[in-house]
Amino acid sequence: MSTRAATISPSAVSASAPVSSLSGAATKALTLGVIGLVATAAGLAVSSGKAVAFSYLTGIVFWIGIALGALFLVMIHHVFDAGWSTLLRRQFENWLACLPWLALLFVPLIASAFFAPGMIWKWTNPSYDLAQVGGHGTVAQDVLWVKKSGLLSTTSLVIASIVGFAGWSLLANRFRAHSFAQDTDGNISHTHASRFWTAVGLPFTALSMTLCIILWVKALDYHWYSTMYGVWFFAGCVRGALSVGMIITVWLWNRGDYKGILNNNHMHSHGMLMFAFTVFWAYITFSQYFLIYMANIPEETFWYSLREINNNGHFNTWGYVGFFLLFGHFFAPFLTLIHYPVKLSKIWMPRIAAFIAFVFLVDVTYNVMPSLKKITGDAYPFTSINLLWIATSVVGVGGVCVWAYLNSFSKTKLIPIRDPRIGESLTHHE
Amino acid sequence: MADSIYGLMARFDSASEIFHAAKKVRDAGFKNWDCITPFPIHGLDGAMGVRRSHVPKFSLVGGLAGFTTGMSMIWFTGAFDYPLIVGGKPYFSPLFAFPIAYELTILFTAFATIAGMFILNWLPQHYHPVLKSDQITRGLDDTFYVVIEARDPKFDLIRAKALLTQSGAKEISELEA
Repeated sequence: MSTRAATISPSAVSASAPVSSLSGAATKALTLGVIGLVATAAGLAVSSGKAVAFSYLTGIVFWIGIALGALFLVMIHHVFDAGWSTLLRRQFENWLACLPWLALLFVPLIASAFFAPGMIWKWTNPSYDLAQVGGHGTVAQDVLWVKKSGLLSTTSLVIASIVGFAGWSLLANRFRAHSFAQDTDGNISHTHASRFWTAVGLPFTALSMTLCIILWVKALDYHWYSTMYGVWFFAGCVRGALSVGMIITVWLWNRGDYKGILNNNHMHSHGMLMFAFTVFWAYITFSQYFLIYMANIPEETFWYSLREINNNGHFNTWGYVGFFLLFGHFFAPFLTLIHYPVKLSKIWMPRIAAFIAFVFLVDVTYNVMPSLKKITGDAYPFTSINLLWIATSVVGVGGVCVWAYLNSFSKTKLIPIRDPRIGESLTHHE
Repeated sequence: MADSIYGLMARFDSASEIFHAAKKVRDAGFKNWDCITPFPIHGLDGAMGVRRSHVPKFSLVGGLAGFTTGMSMIWFTGAFDYPLIVGGKPYFSPLFAFPIAYELTILFTAFATIAGMFILNWLPQHYHPVLKSDQITRGLDDTFYVVIEARDPKFDLIRAKALLTQSGAKEISELEA
């Protein structure tokens, strides 16, 4: 690493993004977002509060996953002192602008634990009657909750969510502030400060993300045990973020911003990461299924049974979703991304990326929605009006994320022009 | 005369010189020629017009063979040759055969990739005509050589020499066959 920060002169690259057309796009994104959120809220008049809340949880966890994936990618860049990804890092930093807004949008879900305890997370109300979901007795009488009650409580939920969002927003703020400040002063100390925050942030984010996803999603069915859950979510997060990053990359290329900046090797390396995390996701997800299948313990197998067969033994709609995940989230990306020319293609890659992001949403849906049970204990089918509330939630929260991104994008340089490794990044493998 | 020599060997003194010379030789349409450099040079394969390797095809065949072997091995032992119920599981399911199939996919892919590489690059070669040059060791140390073989259909001694001189060769020698 050079001791000087600026290795190329700012004038060598025209790195300021044209602002004019973007403020309109940002406003449109925000408008769309607000419409989505209002439509989700209007869903309360049509469906039960529980169904809408589960759908909204699906939508927001999808976008939180993408934001956390972006946070991880920025930190992974710093922890390895990576060179090639320097120019791509800036767009992930811009994306991180959405984290405080995601925290704000998550508040209604946490609030529901107080004004409607037990609606989303049954254990927020120990006197919740399990007969409503095909069980018997109350949560407080359930030995599996009693043994887990140290973690599964409203207090833990609130603390974990606050600590998580506060920590992630702080990290996002630090990485953004240091990176943007370096554009003007070219000071190497910003790189060192980012590395410090990475050293703190990586273990923090790994632990807080695991804890939050266990409380938010896994504990919707609090009987369940899985040691792979945090890693499963991590894999999904990074895949989502890499997909969004690829879509942004090709968008900027088509706009002309990346002319002379982006070369084939960036596409190749980015594509290889997407491929690697496809395999990683498959490895984790298969391991989770396989361990539960082999051990065959009722407290674990019920989670998959719920997503495959009803109590009467009939195959249910979630079974098809499971197979779609197997082929859509693994085989399809694996068999396309494995080809070198595909990884360089600016036609193929954004489409594959959009598909992966979509299947990540299906994966989150598969994890959240079947916990919404009928009185018989069977899952509500996949094909229901809830899909509409998931769609409005995704548009709502996504609109806010895109708005935050575009706002940040229009205020910052296109690439970190005075990062010590920017020269290396611009000539990646050339 | 072209029949009696192996080819021409031209010396260059820097990586950038051989890089530009390689582009000229490539554009002149030569196929049977090579660059000898002391270290890998980024982008030289592109400058030489080398196409992407065929090794991945070997890898694919190896991978498919490994996957099939793994699946059929578990089916053969567990469901065909000696059916035995273990842990209340079916005689055969792709689920529990998957880890074995996965491992064998990786193992066979690795073998096929390495074998494919050796088949395609003809290594190890204990003899090569350029070894007759007493200068060749410098090509592994501090100089760069372009070697154009006489068997190339475009090869013409006078023209090839002119091309190399024009490309900035410091010294051109004929390699005996």
